[in-house]
Amino acid sequence: MKTPLRRSIGFVLAGTSVMGIAWLSRAPYRLHPSEAALIRLAWSARPERIETCREPNEAELARLPAHMRQKVVCEGTSARYRLRVTVDDTVVLDEVVRGSGLRHDRPVYLLRDLPATPGRLQLQVRFERIDSLIAAPLAAPNSEEKSDSLLAGLPGRDRREATERERRRQEAVPATLALDEVVVLSPRQVLLVTYDVENRRLMSVSDHGVRGERP
Amino acid sequence: MHALARALERLIRRMLRQADAGLNLLYGWRYNPIYQSGTIVVLLFLVLLATGLWLLLFYRIGAPWDSVARLTANPWTGNWVRGLHRYSSDAAMVATLVHALRMVAQGRSWGPRVLAWVSGLVLLGLLFVCGVTGFVMVWDGFGAELAVEGARIVDALPILSEPIGRAFAGERPVQGVFFFLNLFLHIAVPLGMALGLWLHVSKLARPVLLPPRALGRGIVLLLLAVALVWPLAMAPEASPFSRPEFIAVDWFFGFWLPLTRPLPGAAVWAAGVIFAAALLGFPRWSRRRGTELPPPSTVDTQICTGCLQCGLDCPYGAITMLPRTDGRAEVVADVDPALCVSCGICAGSCAPMGVGPPGRTGRDQLETVRRFMADPVRRTDQVVVIACGHGAGALTTDLQAEGGAVYPVDCAGNLHTSVIEYAIRAGAAGVLVLACPPRDCRNREGPLWLEERIYHEREAELQARVNRERVAVAHVSAGDRGTAVAALRQFQARLAGLVPAMAEATIQVGAVCDPADEERVTG
Repeated sequence: MKTPLRRSIGFVLAGTSVMGIAWLSRAPYRLHPSEAALIRLAWSARPERIETCREPNEAELARLPAHMRQKVVCEGTSARYRLRVTVDDTVVLDEVVRGSGLRHDRPVYLLRDLPATPGRLQLQVRFERIDSLIAAPLAAPNSEEKSDSLLAGLPGRDRREATERERRRQEAVPATLALDEVVVLSPRQVLLVTYDVENRRLMSVSDHGVRGERP
Repeated sequence: MHALARALERLIRRMLRQADAGLNLLYGWRYNPIYQSGTIVVLLFLVLLATGLWLLLFYRIGAPWDSVARLTANPWTGNWVRGLHRYSSDAAMVATLVHALRMVAQGRSWGPRVLAWVSGLVLLGLLFVCGVTGFVMVWDGFGAELAVEGARIVDALPILSEPIGRAFAGERPVQGVFFFLNLFLHIAVPLGMALGLWLHVSKLARPVLLPPRALGRGIVLLLLAVALVWPLAMAPEASPFSRPEFIAVDWFFGFWLPLTRPLPGAAVWAAGVIFAAALLGFPRWSRRRGTELPPPSTVDTQICTGCLQCGLDCPYGAITMLPRTDGRAEVVADVDPALCVSCGICAGSCAPMGVGPPGRTGRDQLETVRRFMADPVRRTDQVVVIACGHGAGALTTDLQAEGGAVYPVDCAGNLHTSVIEYAIRAGAAGVLVLACPPRDCRNREGPLWLEERIYHEREAELQARVNRERVAVAHVSAGDRGTAVAALRQFQARLAGLVPAMAEATIQVGAVCDPADEERVTG
């Protein structure tokens, strides 16, 4: 092959190769072929605790270092919840949700994507506690300090413990969360259903903003 | 698995052989991009560093898409730099894959080369991570999809109680800390790549890191030209509340999306682990066994004069010189079998023929050439074509059809110059050495040292008494039939103008390393 011809072919080949690379760096990919919309459930919430609380006796307290002595000791587990999603009276999701972690004592972290047909839909989401709470938290302690010698060096401890238990109870997700809305989904739209921590309710959010504002 | 690995080697070798031949024809072996694939990656890495540092000045973690959009809208100092950065990363991916395929085809993944193979795979993985994080930085539809799909796969592992995917679910805007971590990875990974590159070539003597200047300039200019004539466009910003029908995908870094999206996360992990294990285990499966396993070089300490040459020529730094205790010379060569790949280049470098793989030392070669020249089937006026087994050896039939007497060698660098001398003095019309193109040498530096020994008096040089007009060297790969035949014809034409060759009755070839330590080997 003569040199000019060879060079020309070489140049064309090099140019084509680089153009090919450039094209492959931006070639289209059909990510969502169907027009289906998506209902996305995403929230985190601390499950309620099912606990049995008791006051440890002197011998138990004595075995513990001073900083670990508690007036009230609670043992138990986190409640399970049933998540049920209904679209136009059809159940599309029905499952039991537990707190994360091996002991299920961590918050519930939820992330589910449910395809939905675009259009007007009746959406119902219910998140309900399954387990009944076996033991209610202890009542607030008396204002008097316990005179136990083992807790004498920790003034106000029982009150702080009670405050902490109450705070955890307040933080926990309500026994029932529900969302019942008529939504209009456009093709390929994503509707987010999430938990509004401040108002302790479920809400739906789309690119148009928060929906389902309720009194 | 061994048979499968060898079959894969053969398949890739066949494919590359055709590509090699075509590209040699177009660009010549010096600028064949397949031969230079490894050095091209390093060059592109430098381009990526330079353009990346510039782009970093304009990137904002708090407004990733907006900052990249502003940059892309600037045709003078933004768009073309971004384009060059993008295309360089893509080309680096291509060159890396070609480089890996070459190593597979040439059986250069096992034995002492395991470290290079494994570190190469790690480098490929780091390049991939670096590219993916780069696309995530833009936070357009493709970047977000990479992040979402990546998070889905990671979330399949039972290690994090909170799914990473929630970060992109739309509950809140994607946090700046995510983009900070992503940017940190994008910057930190190249540092790891520099370390990996050092490890990758750590077992090589005189590693070549950059391609010839003309080729390097050509590649960068081509990428720059495409960045200018086909500027990058900005895709819409990612939104968690919409599912785009189409996204523009960079297939070099997003090829896995269509493969993993339909699969559960656990299946992706299983497939990934199997694939990674297959790649990492390839050296074990492709390792030569039994009689296929070439033995490492050995040193005949009685012959070794301690001239240092074998240690200087060894492409893998496998030969060191140790103090000598018998008082003959100061040092003696010592081969580390863990580093020796049995290329035999040391045999070609040793004038007194005291080192080399068993059966392939200079003395063994002399014995072989003596038998070859004594073969009555061979015509006395034939050209002896010394053909490298990895290259021109595949063209034996074509070369014989052209009247050449093909003398196969394992590697041209393994060839001792005494073999050439012996062939000519035994009456061969001439000796044509068909070595592989230097950058395609399976043993890295074989053709380089061969030419140095023949034409530039490198130690173990072809003796001055040998008529250089009867010696020629050409570089051909296994697929370069036309080049090989043309080289032979050209050489035959040149020889036709010379007086006919005469065989000497008694041939003594010199095996001189040091005049004071001369030794004669009679063939």
